[in-house]
Amino acid sequence: MTSRSLGQFYPVVSPVHTLDPRAKIVATAVFVVGLFLIDSTAGLLFVAAALVALVAVSRIPAGTFLRLLRPVMFIVALTVLIQVLFSRAGPTLVEWGFFEVHSGGLRHGLFLALRILLLVSSAGLLTATTAPVALADGIEDLLSPLKRVRFPAHEVAMMMTIALRFIPTLGDEAEKIKGAQAARGADFSEGGPLRRARSLVPVLVPLTVGAFRRADELAEAMESRGYRGGEGRTRYRELRFRKQDALALATTALVLLVGVLL
Amino acid sequence: MRLELEDIRYVYATGTPFEVEALRGVSLAVEPGEVLGIVGGTGSGKSTLVQHMNLLLTPASGRVLVDGVDARSLEKSGLRRRVGLVFQFPESALFAPTVEEDVAFAPRQLGLDEGEVQERVSESLRSLGAEDLAVRSPFALSGGEKRRAAIAGVLAMRPEVLILDEPTAGLDPATREELLALILGLRKSGISVVLVSHDLDEVAEVADRVCVLHEGMVRAAGTPAEVFYRDPAQAPATVRVASLVKVSKAEIGDPVRFEETLEALGALRGV
Repeated sequence: MTSRSLGQFYPVVSPVHTLDPRAKIVATAVFVVGLFLIDSTAGLLFVAAALVALVAVSRIPAGTFLRLLRPVMFIVALTVLIQVLFSRAGPTLVEWGFFEVHSGGLRHGLFLALRILLLVSSAGLLTATTAPVALADGIEDLLSPLKRVRFPAHEVAMMMTIALRFIPTLGDEAEKIKGAQAARGADFSEGGPLRRARSLVPVLVPLTVGAFRRADELAEAMESRGYRGGEGRTRYRELRFRKQDALALATTALVLLVGVLL
Repeated sequence: MRLELEDIRYVYATGTPFEVEALRGVSLAVEPGEVLGIVGGTGSGKSTLVQHMNLLLTPASGRVLVDGVDARSLEKSGLRRRVGLVFQFPESALFAPTVEEDVAFAPRQLGLDEGEVQERVSESLRSLGAEDLAVRSPFALSGGEKRRAAIAGVLAMRPEVLILDEPTAGLDPATREELLALILGLRKSGISVVLVSHDLDEVAEVADRVCVLHEGMVRAAGTPAEVFYRDPAQAPATVRVASLVKVSKAEIGDPVRFEETLEALGALRGV
């Protein structure tokens, strides 16, 4: 309950939060593709500035947002390192025996790092500003044209909704079971990796048993309330595509276009 | 062993929009060999509070004292052995293939030799009337049987203080009575018991003192008669007689002799 990580919804009210989830999903997809079309540093920096402005508008504190990026920092660092070590483009900056750093490699490494950070930030902003249920609704709606070719759009979305809904529940459950076993003398932090993995058995067994029991109960609860799949099912919260959603999409496209042209 | 909490504060999810102040300065003591009832509504902080007693949760501020010594200076494994905590719905943490194995988990973690482990397993199963469950799978038991197996798993550490968080929630009356009898039995052998509950009747039945928690603060503390009736003298005579008789009668189900009732009534008249 205390750990925040990538993909966690951050519930505040902001112009970004209230956008139609479909608009946000499409905008994010367009943004991610657009990132790979930009090949100038100036263009990438321009797009980065736009994203920073968007984060500010979303009322997510900068510190919280940066914490979202922590899990990918290793990959970012690795990317820069590989570019610096193996690229021989441009004039030499440092020469140290077998080891050479070229300006081209450094520049390219930083460029790729920024691209990865923007990629993850845009996806992180989507999930931080969109409630899991709204996200699943949006995806179902966007996938619904595929229903004509028998693609189970509703079922996929329902599975996603349930999975997302139960992540915090299972997290709390794991926390509780860990507490109960710690009270019986279990220690999860001592010993080598093998011993630590073994010490998780008393947590994983009851957690799995509990997950199956919960799945059973959920299925029964859904059936008893008349759930029969997506056919003819209406929504409590209807998605509405409004003027500001169109505006958001147009702005995203425009920012990317400027980025590509720069 | 005397367990004392001093001005405990605790906040969940600090620094996020989900921040909740669960405990706002709680002070209380568990005296040696007493049964302390902790009552309060849902969300009053009862479960958060008891997890401080063996330092599963570390307070944001305030201290936990074990016989006057700051618990943070003690070794955690030793503290958790001496202060046994049974979580709410403890059966959800059963994991071993047999009940026996599950109960043996805690004593094995203590590094005891196998003979001692077996002795403790059979002892704690016996005290819960669950010897016949020893070789069964914990997943194939009824709700009440699971609950007894799980409590035995903590009792096997031979704690000096036993904390039971809602131990009777969802139990059948027979198992409930057995558990309350176990609590009084433990008290008789000098073990302090902390009973967290929102069933006021059962707390009145077994607790020596009651502590009422509301919105993370202690709102009242004292004997059941003092807490449940603002003026103990206004409590119905039956309640007062019951609390007087309880001093001499430890076991539930022991018949109360006529003379004892008269004696208690006499004592009341004297007040």
